[in-house]
Amino acid sequence: MTLSFVIARKEIRDHLRDTRALLSSAFMALMGPAVVLLVSLSDRAPGQDGARVFVGMLTIFALVSAFAGAIDVAMDSTAGERERRSLIPLLLNPVTRSEIVLGKWIAVTAFALGAVALNSAALVAVLAWAAPALLAARADQIAMWILLGLAPLTALGAAANLFVAVLCRSTKEAHTALRFLAFVPMLIGMFLVFFPSWTGRAWFVLPIVGQQTLIALREPSAPIAASVILALVTLVAAIGPLVGATRVLSRDDILSA
Amino acid sequence: MIEVRNLRKAFGPVRAVSDVSFRASNGRITGILGENGAGKTTTLALICGLLRPDEGWVRVGPDDSSPIERRRRLGALLDHKGLYDRLTARENIAYFGRLQGVLPCLLERRVEDVLARLDLARVADRRVAGFSQGERMKVALGRAIVHSPAHVLLDEPTNGLDIPSVHGLREVLRRMRDSGTCILFSTHVLDEVRALCDNVVIISRGRVVAQGDQADICRLAGCATLEEAFLALTHREVVCS
Repeated sequence: MTLSFVIARKEIRDHLRDTRALLSSAFMALMGPAVVLLVSLSDRAPGQDGARVFVGMLTIFALVSAFAGAIDVAMDSTAGERERRSLIPLLLNPVTRSEIVLGKWIAVTAFALGAVALNSAALVAVLAWAAPALLAARADQIAMWILLGLAPLTALGAAANLFVAVLCRSTKEAHTALRFLAFVPMLIGMFLVFFPSWTGRAWFVLPIVGQQTLIALREPSAPIAASVILALVTLVAAIGPLVGATRVLSRDDILSA
Repeated sequence: MIEVRNLRKAFGPVRAVSDVSFRASNGRITGILGENGAGKTTTLALICGLLRPDEGWVRVGPDDSSPIERRRRLGALLDHKGLYDRLTARENIAYFGRLQGVLPCLLERRVEDVLARLDLARVADRRVAGFSQGERMKVALGRAIVHSPAHVLLDEPTNGLDIPSVHGLREVLRRMRDSGTCILFSTHVLDEVRALCDNVVIISRGRVVAQGDQADICRLAGCATLEEAFLALTHREVVCS
């Protein structure tokens, strides 16, 4: 576990110096709020009554930001590690493959949390500008959605991105695969915007579906118990891809360039 | 001491290592000599515990140990290109020191010592992105030996290096050998073996075909030079007079 933190610390320090990747993540995090801000400023803005449209748009971008806010870090720390041939030197240390995966996951999650923080700050700012009444009425729900919905989703997204990226031999290959993966929360989110009744009563045991449903609920008080279960289920769901990534990293062919 | 016995490793239908046994002693430089694809790198990967052997065993140090413990006892340089370009030379070396379990109170001194030994002090705080091949190799070697291992493994360490860098590396290896370190390195360059090795293990098609000091190898093949002996032992059509 200690070695996982050594790896995580190195990855964070390393990627904080990757200006292009940081800008790319920031751009992705701010894209949704920027689009909604432009819509709110346009002649076709829906006005206060249609402010729920803003929320629907913002949440889809927020889901993508949480799930895929740190794909550059996931790519570079796995497929990039193979491509620049630094994986073998890393594996030559007395570190288990699971400690390596855990360390990289901590780092990717940290960057994804940063992306969510940026996205959430911009989202609140846009709502304060475009729909202050809605923001005031649903402040508790939005806060819970960010803390119990989006934050745990970063852990699942980081794990899924790492698993896919570790299967790839180059960052180019990983880039293509992870862009497809980023569509998963977008498609689910959009589907639920148009078919909200599909989720059923057990929405809180389905990651991504649960996050999108949580913010769309119209109840006056937010369901805390269901939100906590959703957070736990989302975190537990991250274990599967992490185990998968560890297995891939333990295969003999991982050593070939 | 590093000892391997009856190592076998296949990747699907391809037998990379068929039968490899040898011993590398402390305070000596042992060279694994073989053509490209002879099984040298696979043998080193098996010794490091990166790969699991299909058969046979590896011992690093006085007793049997797990692959993790083996890696703690080893300093291995299997590829000197794989550095972290956004980190400085010092950070690259310190990172591996931490992974090797060097205590925080000792780490700074160990890193300084390695930087001085490898003549890297003046570039220690530069990011390695712009480093020459020679400087990159030194940083990679520094990472491998920052925990002062008693056993060092190197895979074709002089590949792509200029003459001064090769000379510098040889000096470093000789000093380590003289301080009692067991050094095992693979190469396909005969000059390398002549200049450095106390013992030679010749591998051909995944098997050890000869081992001993250079005179032993020549005697075994009935040849006057190591080059002729190597060819005679690995390509049976070559016959020495």
